[in-house]
Amino acid sequence: MVWLGRPAHRQNGAVWGDEALGSAQREADLARLIEGVARGERAALQALYDATAPKLLGIILRILKDRAAAEDTLQEVFVRIWQRSGSYDPLAGAPLPWLIAIARHRAIDRLRQDRSARLTQAEDGWFERLADTSDGEADLARRDALAQCLDQVAMPQRDCLVLAYCEGWSREELATRFDRPVNTIKTWLRRGLLSLRTCLETP
Amino acid sequence: MSGSGIPPDWQDDPDLAAGEYVLGTLSPDERAAFAEALEARADLRSAVAAWEARLAPLAATIPAVAPDPALWTAIAARIRPAAGAAVDADAVPAHPVAAGDRIVRLERRVRRWRMTAATAAALAAGLALWIAAGGTAALREPPHYLAVVDRGGTLPALIVRVDLRAGVVQVRSLAAETPPERSLELWYIDAGAAPQSLGLVPGETARLPIPAALRTRTETATFAVTVEPKGGAPDGKPTGPAIYSGRLIRD
Repeated sequence: MVWLGRPAHRQNGAVWGDEALGSAQREADLARLIEGVARGERAALQALYDATAPKLLGIILRILKDRAAAEDTLQEVFVRIWQRSGSYDPLAGAPLPWLIAIARHRAIDRLRQDRSARLTQAEDGWFERLADTSDGEADLARRDALAQCLDQVAMPQRDCLVLAYCEGWSREELATRFDRPVNTIKTWLRRGLLSLRTCLETP
Repeated sequence: MSGSGIPPDWQDDPDLAAGEYVLGTLSPDERAAFAEALEARADLRSAVAAWEARLAPLAATIPAVAPDPALWTAIAARIRPAAGAAVDADAVPAHPVAAGDRIVRLERRVRRWRMTAATAAALAAGLALWIAAGGTAALREPPHYLAVVDRGGTLPALIVRVDLRAGVVQVRSLAAETPPERSLELWYIDAGAAPQSLGLVPGETARLPIPAALRTRTETATFAVTVEPKGGAPDGKPTGPAIYSGRLIRD
């Protein structure tokens, strides 16, 4: 006989004292799963997939805009995680940024290969999302700091950073949108990054 | 482009090139060269990791999108266990298991496990529930043992085995964490009837007798694990939230 089990609908985080478990605990769980993947444990990859695939698909879809291409890319991302999980170094950084980086790089690589014109629609609502603390997924302190520091980046530069990071816009696409030469965009991106780094590194 | 992999404009501050690499705004040539330079230079890798960490909260706020359920199947078909890798739970048990026995790792079946508060709670709880039940084959064959596979400390398991021949439910808690001052209690619920307690989920291993009603109704009973006050539900009725529930069916 087979147990066809699933967590009950009433699965309730509160009874486990979830409020006391911050992102550090979640990050530790993800890191352990990645270690399991590195040992070749398929179950660890599946648990990692269940925990992070929707988030990563959202991020990829924001860049690619095409559902089929995004799911295709997500598949590549997890195959890559399977092959490359040994390269994850817990000392070098938290697991979620590592996973997000793999997903974004794959999405951007695919985007750049696809020469066809795409619908470039401006990102909006990012500030509200960053400021919305009811979504407890990201490390709140880091998120808060990023929101504040992005807010201090001068205007066209900030838009360039967010459009590039969240939507995968290239310099050329940004140049078209802001009706400026590509070199100006390069300068804006550089100044924007510098401003962001200075703000985030200032205690 | 210089031989260092750093675009010329960033020679004075390679960290900003790392920032643009993370943003994805380097030109294709610059991007390829930078990626190559990354392989050789630890300082660039840590600069990239720092930018990834700085910007990740922005990506993390992008709303999640549930993938097509078929996507995992496609991924699973493309991955193979590495040679010498730890034995996978549902691949090869350490001991022979009758054909009628199955181990189903619950969390694998759960599409619900998403990057949500519930997921975080589930991960935090670290509770995975396995159940196996001896089918008709088990009546003729010697007792079977289930493989317990270490998963590198992740997602500790609770194993429940319904052994009809021996008339016991074996419950083995590997590392399932019981909330402080609480107990986990295992129940079975016959269709339309009140839940019957099978006993508390032990700290380690316990053999609980199978109630007579369950012996004949294994195929229709639903099982559940609930969180109860320490010592179990006071009136023999579940009071706390069910962490897991599931059903036994004939294989």
